[in-house]
Parts: sequence; structure tokens; C-alpha cells
Amino acid sequence: MDHFPTNWGRPRHEGFDAYGTFPIHQRPTNGPKDAFKEGIERTQQPIVTGTSVLAIKYKDGIMMAADNLASYGSLARFKDISRLHAVGNNTIIGAGGDMSDFQYIQTILDDITTEEFTAQDGHSLGPAEIHEYLSQVMYARRTKMNPLWNALLVGGVKDGKKFLAYVDLLGTTYSASTLATGFGGHLAIPLLREAVEGREDTLTEEEALRIIENSMRVLFYRDARSLNKYQVAIVTEAGVKISESLKVETSWSFAEGIRGYGAQTQ
Amino acid sequence: MTSIGTGYDLSASTYSPDGRIFQVEYAGKAVENSGTAIGLKVKDGVVLAVEKLVHSKLLVPDANRRIQTVDRHIGLATAGLLADGRNISNRARDEASSYRDIYRSPAPLKAIIDRLGLYVQAYTLYSSVRPFGISTILGGVDENGPSLYVVEPSGVFFGYNGAAIGKGRQLAKTELEKLKLNELSMREAVMEAARIIYLVHDDAKEKDFELEISWIGPESNYTHVHVPKDLFNEAEAQAKAALETFE
Amino acid sequence: MPGMVSMTQPIQQSFNPYTENGGTILAIAGADFTVIAGDTRQSEGYSIQTRYAPKVFRLTDKAVLAVNGFAADGNMFVKKVRQRLEWYRHAHAKDMPIRAIARLIQTMLYARRFFPYYVYNILGGIEEDGTGAVYSFDPVGSYEREACRAAGAAQSLVQPFLDNQIYFKNQTPAAGTAFPKHLPLSTVLPLVIDSFTSATERHIEVGDGLEIYVVLARNSTALAGLQSLRGVQEVTGTNDGERVFVIRRDLKKD
Repeated sequence: MDHFPTNWGRPRHEGFDAYGTFPIHQRPTNGPKDAFKEGIERTQQPIVTGTSVLAIKYKDGIMMAADNLASYGSLARFKDISRLHAVGNNTIIGAGGDMSDFQYIQTILDDITTEEFTAQDGHSLGPAEIHEYLSQVMYARRTKMNPLWNALLVGGVKDGKKFLAYVDLLGTTYSASTLATGFGGHLAIPLLREAVEGREDTLTEEEALRIIENSMRVLFYRDARSLNKYQVAIVTEAGVKISESLKVETSWSFAEGIRGYGAQTQ
Repeated sequence: MTSIGTGYDLSASTYSPDGRIFQVEYAGKAVENSGTAIGLKVKDGVVLAVEKLVHSKLLVPDANRRIQTVDRHIGLATAGLLADGRNISNRARDEASSYRDIYRSPAPLKAIIDRLGLYVQAYTLYSSVRPFGISTILGGVDENGPSLYVVEPSGVFFGYNGAAIGKGRQLAKTELEKLKLNELSMREAVMEAARIIYLVHDDAKEKDFELEISWIGPESNYTHVHVPKDLFNEAEAQAKAALETFE
Repeated sequence: MPGMVSMTQPIQQSFNPYTENGGTILAIAGADFTVIAGDTRQSEGYSIQTRYAPKVFRLTDKAVLAVNGFAADGNMFVKKVRQRLEWYRHAHAKDMPIRAIARLIQTMLYARRFFPYYVYNILGGIEEDGTGAVYSFDPVGSYEREACRAAGAAQSLVQPFLDNQIYFKNQTPAAGTAFPKHLPLSTVLPLVIDSFTSATERHIEVGDGLEIYVVLARNSTALAGLQSLRGVQEVTGTNDGERVFVIRRDLKKD
């Protein structure tokens, strides 16, 4: 049964009336459609985004930080978003870029860790395995020209070994004792390298925290898509801990002394 | 066995004139011949225990587990054909993960047992398949607290405070009824579970057996895991001691 | 005005699946050895992502592969080549000969002719006849066997130097003498190190660390000189006779 009344009493297809012997107005076509006629459009752009993630190695393990902001373009849209996510007991991931893609990544990671848990075979996924898996997913998606629009840091400790690595929407991976995504790569990395390189096995938790705090402050001063509210995650042999939201302490008194830009007379 | 020779017992898709499905009843026999499995629902969680009969001394200890994990917060124990137990746990895992994918939250036990019931029942409908030769005890703790269910080969399932399936189920049920389940702590429940399994094991007829105990509760961080080694040893020792005084 | 972005219409921001991660690789074949080297800096734009990301990989005891270009493609490509070599080992109970690896790499690169691996490959090692070999590839699989090749960010700095020092281009031998056909390892290694220190001086994407793989043919005469070297490490995997060594050196980090 054809459910479109305008089709009734008419040729079923233009093919039957190629010369237009009577007028056929616009009506739904019920014939086979070429799904590829307009091509497949899946190249996207990030919509709700997070900015930098920072991470360093220190004496007891890995410390990672990200602020609580998810922006919608230049609008500070969500100010209570956690961009750090624990995967199992040994791994932390932090994400910059598209937050919906990040939520999808959280689901697939939870899926594989649950699957691993239900096997009850004494094995669990560590940071190196999570990072390898993630980079395969990210690379496969970029190869399909349908990327997950993120830059991710994966850190953790397992069997006495510290691990810290990066992966992004292109599937690019690398490892270092200090890592940062987004603006952090420009503003924070020089500070972090200066403070951390060569001291990975001696920095205490308090020292590491101070280094991170300082970098987050620099980022808040200069990155317009950042927030003065952030979380710090710590992964040690004992497990993963994600802190409550912390506040960046700032001081703006120096602004008083700036001359030459405002309405002041001298 | 009035069914034999009547021709009504050859297929799960045929009723007998008085409305029975003999193939399903035969599946029940497969369960009755298996080592006992019990489940206890207590105040804070659930304890599962199994009497795993070891048919050969050559088997690796702890191999062929009959208690399996379905999701972080759900476990199951089966009595009957071991391979059918594996199939059911795989299905249960798929259902649990599918629920997670759709609703982005851990599955309530009710949702899993519903789907598991439908799955088992589907195998009572067709002449091309054999009903499951197992009963399954499904236990877990979800947002509504602890719960415990049993699915039978017919696909029917009920919720219980204490459940027992397999060869020693009658005696086990009698013992479970004596307990004040909702007053027991998790540790006490583990002790009782071990005791009951040792009690119902008839070592005159049976070969060796291995005890398996798992739990889901505050002490396991609400995940389904086999109980820690020291607790297991303690429970097993107490069970053996209780058996001596019983006799 | 041409070249100006229209403000009336939204710009279609399309996804670019490639990037360029800098660095340089090089390989030189001797009579009974081959040297394959690469720096360890990985960068994107003006940012150094890491100071240690290997670009040179031991495939077998007879073959070492250096990859340069888009790092994600490079790592994936090495992974796939290794997988094929493992399958070959399972099927034939021996390592694939280097000329076969070279052809395999061509096939694998050309299979992606219309979505290429954005990677320049240099394969170095020992042929079945015991001679040192270098094979170089373009991203879609065109390849040839050579005595030496540089690729990557500082190719244009290093290759002319190699042409001059290895092939003796723009040099004329003294009357009554001839240039040697093959150079000894003791000459080649300093050339490699000098190439990279020079490239580090003049190219921002080169530096941090240098990894030099040396593959020796059976009973290679270069062995004695190699073992006395500072910080040399053997990474041979089989008892087939060929031996593989790595030499690590620091490069300037600025």
C-alpha cells in the first residue's frame, strides 16, 4: 500500500513517464535511494571543549591536573565538569578537547575494565595497556576520518613502574616525565620541565603539588578558556585519588601600577 | 518415568496431553545430580557458595569455577551442566554490559534476571534446541540493596532470602531456614555457607570436592569477588570442626 | 579579493588527518655492515613533544627500519611490518631476508596509495650474500637500494654532506689514486655523528638524542672497533651470526 495520496493514480516512477506527459508536482519518492549521493559527512568540530591538562612524574607516582571548565566556544558554559577520570585502580586519564567525545571514551574504558574484572583471572589493565588501547582507538577513528576530538594524558603506577603518556585525535603518541595538552603545552611545559626533569624520583607530593598549582595559576592568568577552579589527581602504588575542586590563588594588585592603557591621566 | 515411550518427551516443543513439557523436567534432573550451590542474602550483602565435585585428582585446583562474575556488583553460581553455566554467565555479562551502554549506570539485578529468564525460557520453545541443564543463583547488591534470585530450566525465576540448588538442596534449605538471615553479618554468612556445604556433602558416595565461596558486600567494596584466602581458610576449618561435633 | 576568507559564510573547517613530527633519519651501508641512525626528538610546530621517541626499530637481526614523518602513521606502520614478519617466522621458521622485507614494505605502502602513510622509510641491514644494504622509500612505496640515504626534516642538510663524503661527489682523487668503494665503520660512525650534530645546529626540529644502530654481517671485521666504543649495547636476538648494536649519544637540547 502506498500511503502517500498524491501518488495515487500516477505512474509509480518517473521512468514510466519519461517525457512528462502530465504534470507531476513535488512529492515524496518511494523508490530506492542512493545513500552515497551526497557523500558521507562526518568530519566534525569540537563543540563543548575543555582546555589544558597537566601531568608530571614525582617520587610516589603521577600527578595530573585539569580545571573544571567546559566551554561552548568563548562561553564558559559548564563550570563544574571533571576532566579527570580514573580507570581501574592504577590509571588516571585527563582530557582536553570535545567533552562529549571524552564521555564516550569514559564509557568504552569502563566497558573494557568491567569485562576484565568479570574474567576474575587475576589480571587487570594498567596504565600502559589503557594507553595502548586508547591510541589504537584514536588512530582508527582518525583513519576513518571520524576522529574523537581530544588530547588525552594517561598516567599511572603499576607493579612499581610509573607511566605517563599522551595521545590525541590524530593517534599521535609520546611519553615524557612532564606532559601537557593544549595551551599547557606552550605555557606550562617549560615551567614543568624546569621543575621536574631529573627530579622525577625525589620530588615529594607537596613539592609536586606546588609545581602543579603554580602552572595552573599561570594558565589561568593567560589562557582565556581556563578557570580558577581545578582538580588534582594522584596515582600511587596505593591507588587513584582525585581531589575536591581547588581554587587558584591569584593576585591582581599589579594592575594598579600599569600605565598607558586606561583612562588615567599620567 | 511415565513419560518414557509415550513420545511426548522427545522435544521441548511438544506438550504431553496433561500439559507438561518433559524435556524441561529432564533438564531439572541434570540439576539435581549436580554438586550443591547455595546463596544467602543477608543484611549488607550476598554470599554464594558451591560444592564443586572434583571428578579427577589430576585437575588443577581452582579450575572450572562454578561461581562467576557477571558485572562488578553481580555474581552467579550454577548447578547442573558446567558448560551451560558458562553460556548463561556469558549471556548475563552481555546483558549487564548492554544495560550499562544504554543507561550509563550499573544494571539492577531485576533487569538482569528478567532478561536471563526470557533467555532460558526461549530454549523451552523449539524442537531444535535443548533446554538449559542448570539452575542459576544470581546474587548482587544494587541501588535497592542486596538481592538473590534463582532461574530454573523452565525460565521461571523467583527471589529468595536463601537459596539452594543441586543434589543437597533439601538439607541445605532446612539449614538455611534455621538461620536468621537478615541478622547475619557478611562474615557470619560466609561461615554458615561453608558449614552448610560441608554438611550436605555426602562423602560416602561422593568423590572429593572443592569449596567455592564468593561475596558482595561492604567488605568487598560492593564488588563480586571470591572471599579472601584467610577468611576462606577460617570458614573451611570451622565447617570441618562443626561437622565433627554434628556427627 | 582572492585568498580572503569570506565573512558572510561559515568556514568549513575540515579535519586534517596528518601532521609532521620533525626529526631526521639516515643510513649508510658498508661492505659488511650497515649503520642506521635517527634523532629522538618528536615535535609539532615549535613545540617539542618529547625528547625521547625512538624512530629506529630493530626488525630482525638482519634488518633495522627507520621511520620519519607523521609519528602516528610511523608507529602503526612499524607495528604492521613487525606483525607480517612474525607471520613469516611462523610460516617459514626463519627471519625474512632484507630484500623481501623491502618489497613487502613497498607493497604495504602502495596498498595505501590513496590514503598514504605519511612516512619516509629507510631500511638498513645485511643481505643474504653478507653485504650491507640500505633501501629507501617514499611514502607510497617507490624504493631503491643505495649505499646511503638521509630523510626527514634535515634531509636537505645531511644528504649533500653524505654525497660528498660517501660518494665523493665534487671531489677528484689525487693523481694515481682512486676513492675507496666502501668506507670502514671507523670512518662511517664519525660521519653519522657529525651529520646529526650539524643538523642539530642548523635545524630546530633535530636534536635531544641520537640512536645509532649498527648491523654487522657474519664475521664482520668491524666488530673489534665497535666493541671498544663508549656506551655501545648489543641487542642481537638470535644466533644466526648477524649482530645488532645500539649506540646512544646526546645531542643539543636547544
